[in-house]
Amino acid sequence: MDGELDERDAGDTIDTLGREREALEAWRTYHLISDAMQMSHRLAARPRLRFALPLAASVAAVALVGWVAFAPQPVAPPAPAPVVAEAKPPVMVPLPAAANDYLLAHQGFSPRVSFQGMAPYVRTVSDPGQENRR
Amino acid sequence: MKVFAILGVSLGLAAGAVQAQSPETLGWLRKMHQATQKLSYTGTFVYQQGARSETSRITRYADGAGDIERLEVLDGVPREIVRTRDTVRCYLPDSRVVKIDRRTPDRSFPALLPEKSGALARHYDIGLGETRRIAGFDCQAVVLTPKDNLRYGYRLYADVASGMLLKAVTFDAAGESIEQFMFTQLAIGNVTRDMVRPRHAARAWRVEDAAASPAHLTGWGLSAELPGFHKIVELKRRMGESKPVGQVVYSDGLAAVSVFIEPLQGRRDVVRTGLASMGAIHIYTREVANHMVTVVGETPAASVQRIADAVEYRQPQ
Repeated sequence: MDGELDERDAGDTIDTLGREREALEAWRTYHLISDAMQMSHRLAARPRLRFALPLAASVAAVALVGWVAFAPQPVAPPAPAPVVAEAKPPVMVPLPAAANDYLLAHQGFSPRVSFQGMAPYVRTVSDPGQENRR
Repeated sequence: MKVFAILGVSLGLAAGAVQAQSPETLGWLRKMHQATQKLSYTGTFVYQQGARSETSRITRYADGAGDIERLEVLDGVPREIVRTRDTVRCYLPDSRVVKIDRRTPDRSFPALLPEKSGALARHYDIGLGETRRIAGFDCQAVVLTPKDNLRYGYRLYADVASGMLLKAVTFDAAGESIEQFMFTQLAIGNVTRDMVRPRHAARAWRVEDAAASPAHLTGWGLSAELPGFHKIVELKRRMGESKPVGQVVYSDGLAAVSVFIEPLQGRRDVVRTGLASMGAIHIYTREVANHMVTVVGETPAASVQRIADAVEYRQPQ
């Protein structure tokens, strides 16, 4: 994926994205994954920009969108890290509806409360509206 | 997961950046703990996680009879949590619900007990960082750098004079901040009883009492424990309006991971198995023996997933 997609392919990719719900779903999924792996995402960002530069302005914008959509793909099946070799790549899902209930139940047992008072409890009342936008 | 590949390098760098662990650094942790137990204070702090930040006010009232702490979210809907000597009450005005939970009676910081501080040092390098002025207080940084990728690191800034924690940053293996709490204003002392009363009368609100009580979850356990994490409590509770839920908590002295076990039978909603994240919190859901197992932890995804994958049910003999 790193730089071998040409201009026309990128354009086709955008069309495909527009046409297919499935592709859009995949696009969202990749973004979720990329959120979880910001580090890898940031590493991928550099070649992406370099690729876009030589193109005409309008095409560049389109190509960039194409790359933003697909750049995280190489990290979608994360390479197993040495220490966690036995763990399967996780499927990213939205926060469970009861996330705040779990956090409230969990928070009281966190040793952090011992030196931070109840500030970490703020997580347990986080605005679900804000979370869902991610 | 490339993050883990550079773990060794970043850990080495981070560890080199702070002084070697000494009784002095543990002394700072003790000082923070004591400040949290003894001081009365009121202040405004910002909780930041990714692109999101939220401002809250926290007020703690301490007298001979115990202490009351009140946390009020200042942005958006005024959600509020009031913690008294034995109870935590969470007021949610948008849904008109009060959630009640028992407060853990043990107020000590086990990691600081002489017999436990060695365990903490086995999994974290603990050292002093820089000094910095935060919200008008001269602070000393204490840095806890994990020795493996199963836990996060912490940079804690404590007021030199009182030991009060002014800022806490959680960082990942790459040294990137993933979550932080920071006071923007703090006043120590001069707190009255009235300042910790809930603003919501909550009359006619629905009450959800967790009714948590110690229990033995027969048959449930881990096929393998995560290095450094030991079981600290096992109990039964209610959650929302659901049937009784089992909860087992594991901790390495700083971070904690809870395993929630709920029967799938009779559930109306579909269980979505997989990993979800919010700042330093990861939540991993899977099905085991016709139960939904939800693992919640302030640890990297790998730890939460490993504990979840180790959960097993063995038919009692």
